[in-house]
Amino acid sequence: MIHKILIVDDSPVARKMLKSCLPKDRELDIYEASNGEEGIEIFKKVTPDLTFLDLTMPVLDGYKTIPLLKQLDSDVVIIVLTADVQPKSISQVLSLGAFTLLKKPATSQSIQDALKQAEIKI
Amino acid sequence: MNQSNIVISDYQKDILQELMNIAFGNATADLTNIIDIHIELSVPDIELLAIRELPEYISETIDTYSETVIINQKFLGDFKGSGLFVFPSSSGHDLSALFEESGFECSQLSGSSLKIEIVMEIGNILIGACVGKISELLNTSVIYSPPQAIFVKENKYDSLVNLFDSSQSVIVMKTRFQQKKGEGFILIITDQDSLDWLKDALDKFMEAYQ
Repeated sequence: MIHKILIVDDSPVARKMLKSCLPKDRELDIYEASNGEEGIEIFKKVTPDLTFLDLTMPVLDGYKTIPLLKQLDSDVVIIVLTADVQPKSISQVLSLGAFTLLKKPATSQSIQDALKQAEIKI
Repeated sequence: MNQSNIVISDYQKDILQELMNIAFGNATADLTNIIDIHIELSVPDIELLAIRELPEYISETIDTYSETVIINQKFLGDFKGSGLFVFPSSSGHDLSALFEESGFECSQLSGSSLKIEIVMEIGNILIGACVGKISELLNTSVIYSPPQAIFVKENKYDSLVNLFDSSQSVIVMKTRFQQKKGEGFILIITDQDSLDWLKDALDKFMEAYQ
């Protein structure tokens, strides 16, 4: 069961949009980071069940963050939430080990569907 | 660089930045549907400046090239302004070669006329996808004028100012498109008249995410 969620996105607006799409009928602990580097630090402290990750970020982007998270936990569940849906971007993040990729802007339905799939994996 | 008298809150700027991010992602996806290309996107940057500051802004933003092609496409509606696709000529030649390799058909033109037409088409696709997505997200629609090509030698952008009302302030929304054969920038310029509408539309957009 997913309880702890980490959101890594440089945009506070994107984080807010995503949080509003998370199910309201569940108790979730939500942690936020504004780039990959911050995300990794928070990941080490709280070990989230699920990580939402943007790709285009300053300091440390999503592409570089995925392998570092995989090093910390080979079973990490990463859902990439991005505006960049070029075929090469999609195949690259999946080959790096992301669980799935969702196109921005997220909807409640797309997020809840992804959570269900992630819970099956966990 | 002086800031104009545009008043937009930090929160509205953040919303605009995220909308730009989504719009540019949409634009690149549209382009990659046409040609075999991958474009690296940068974090969108929102700048507030007066139109008279635009030449200096562009020349500071891009490296010096012998020639730069700027595709200018006006759009009208609740959200109105101009989309500028700033493209160093060398990048244009390389990208147009990619288009030709992909079998893209663009009239019976040849040589430099063909390359100009291809760069205009690229600009048209990117500006249209960006502006169109922003408009869609803000629940409105726009109509476009045909794109025009402007040629600038040696980073001398002063004449650009004459294309716009010099008394107006602008929001410049910029992102960099990079791929192995060059780079380009999109600037979306909107005027003072659109600002009140835009700020209201941004606030309404986020109400759905409270």
